[in-house]
Amino acid sequence: MSSVVLAIVLPLLAAFLLQPLDRVAPSLARLLGPATLLVAAWVLAETWLTRGSVPFTVALGGFAPPLGIVLYVDALALLFALAVPVFGLLFWPWSAAGEDRVREQALTLLLLAAAAGLALSGDLFNIYVFYELVAVASFGLAAAKGTARAQVAAVRYLLIGAFGSLLILIGIAIVYTKTGTLNLAQLAQLAPGTLDGPAGLAAFALMLIGFGVKAELFPVNTWVPEVYATAPARVSALLAGLISKLAVLVVIRLLVLVFDQPSAAQLMLVLGILGTLAGELAAWRARDFPRMLALSSIGQLGMVFIAFSIGGELGLLAALGVALHHLLVKPALFALSNRWSGSLEALAGAGRRSPLSAALFVLFALSLVGVPPLPGFWVKLLVLVGLAQQGEALHLAAMAVILAVTVLEANYLFRLALRLYRRADGAPEPPARLDLATAGLLGAGLIAVTLTITPVGEGLRQIAAQGADASVYVGTVFPQPVALRDGS
Amino acid sequence: MIPFTLETVLYAGAIGLTAIGAVGMVMSNHMFRMVLALVVAEAGVNLLLILSGYRGGAVAPILEAGAAPLPMVDPVPQALVLTAIVIGVGVQALAVGLLIRAYQAYGTLDVRELRRRMEDDLCAAAGVTSPTSLHAPGDGPLPVPEAQAQGVRG
Repeated sequence: MSSVVLAIVLPLLAAFLLQPLDRVAPSLARLLGPATLLVAAWVLAETWLTRGSVPFTVALGGFAPPLGIVLYVDALALLFALAVPVFGLLFWPWSAAGEDRVREQALTLLLLAAAAGLALSGDLFNIYVFYELVAVASFGLAAAKGTARAQVAAVRYLLIGAFGSLLILIGIAIVYTKTGTLNLAQLAQLAPGTLDGPAGLAAFALMLIGFGVKAELFPVNTWVPEVYATAPARVSALLAGLISKLAVLVVIRLLVLVFDQPSAAQLMLVLGILGTLAGELAAWRARDFPRMLALSSIGQLGMVFIAFSIGGELGLLAALGVALHHLLVKPALFALSNRWSGSLEALAGAGRRSPLSAALFVLFALSLVGVPPLPGFWVKLLVLVGLAQQGEALHLAAMAVILAVTVLEANYLFRLALRLYRRADGAPEPPARLDLATAGLLGAGLIAVTLTITPVGEGLRQIAAQGADASVYVGTVFPQPVALRDGS
Repeated sequence: MIPFTLETVLYAGAIGLTAIGAVGMVMSNHMFRMVLALVVAEAGVNLLLILSGYRGGAVAPILEAGAAPLPMVDPVPQALVLTAIVIGVGVQALAVGLLIRAYQAYGTLDVRELRRRMEDDLCAAAGVTSPTSLHAPGDGPLPVPEAQAQGVRG
């Protein structure tokens, strides 16, 4: 049994210990969450350093797959699993007060534990359970402010989320009826004969929409602007940055392993195009900062799906690039929006009051639009090159859409940047020191990636090559039937 | 032609329940009815899952010492459904809890009305005019309510 399990178990345990511990020793309870996350991050980082990029599995409880549940640990899973405690620490609810503090910290720990589970699990039903845990924790966090509008937004989010979970369950029922297993590796072996018909496509469509609720996929993303505008900024940052990416990771695994068929990729491409268009057009019209960020995040997630529909190693590389870039940029912007939550007009002059935060905003805006040396440019280039190589009508349409929304993005982001530097009275308060530090840290990360773009790109290419190869996954989970693995 | 057997009837029932629930969730105008529709749909999906492991005339999957193994139903979907039921109950309870708070705040559970009130509230807190406002475009901006003074994000 490897220590990777601790990354899931410890936050889960801490989430439920927090409430009683707060009664006995409040000062200890204050430290419990961050300490747990530090241990989880250390365990994952240590695994990465010692195991390198060789994938391995952990059979939970010692029960071998396919009957037992396995955790599948490869570089792709570790990358996302490691992002979970790191972003959890960056957006930890330090400032929540009183009774709310314990509740919000416990929910955050629950969210992070389940998120790490989503990244690592190799069993379809186990993934569903972790997904539901993420969902329930995020419903609670969405209502964390306790205002009436936050509760209405949370209940609307909950109904869409529950509908999505229902679709996933139907998908699971179809898959199980057709194959008799829920282990992803065994599904990968059985899928070619059983799931490549219309039933398989239906199962994929249902699960795509179901997991798409958290991944802000069109058309199940109506909750996004409401929730991100009413929830605390740190919650929006976690949901938009981290949780959406883990839902994307699940869809990636499903498509690579189980539903490797052109019509499935095409469905994703169409939904991605619609999401990008709808999100960016709505963001262009948005009149307050949090909702502008929320809607632009729908657009960016749409681009992740477009990128991944290219297929193969290049598709996965492009999707990873867009997803990781968004993971760095959007949470930082949400951190800035904590104090700048008013209408866009009210932000006039904010840059003169806090030059550093305005400079950070401009940096992130430039990268989002895709101005050359910044990573945003390289990921958009990757997507466009991949689409051009495919060269079918739909792919060319996707290219046109991406270029068109880039113009929109430039328009609404630079419009705001200009407004920040305008001379005006009554500029809003500058962002709090903690928010500014978080955004600064992520900004430094963005610049570091810009400077080391070649090794980072090469590392991502290796991760993508490994992740896009279903035979590696199957060979790692079932080492015995060597016939499935090629000689190399 | 689909044969008229027990299994067809059961599948039709499960799919029918799911469809009734799903349509109910999309069509109803009342939040609480949406939650009820969710319950119906979940029951349908759970039946569907149970059916995926069903075998006609088989016994429950309990192996007793010394007994000859009889044909058994697949235990895996039953375990899954057990989990799904528990998750479903939790989510429904949370939904009803949030609905009570929403009703206390706005005095209605009508979907469109609730959405409009929330949208107005949100726009007022952000200091922008609401796109769903009942005021004609020429009426000028809505008066900014006191809510804005409550806090930075309202």
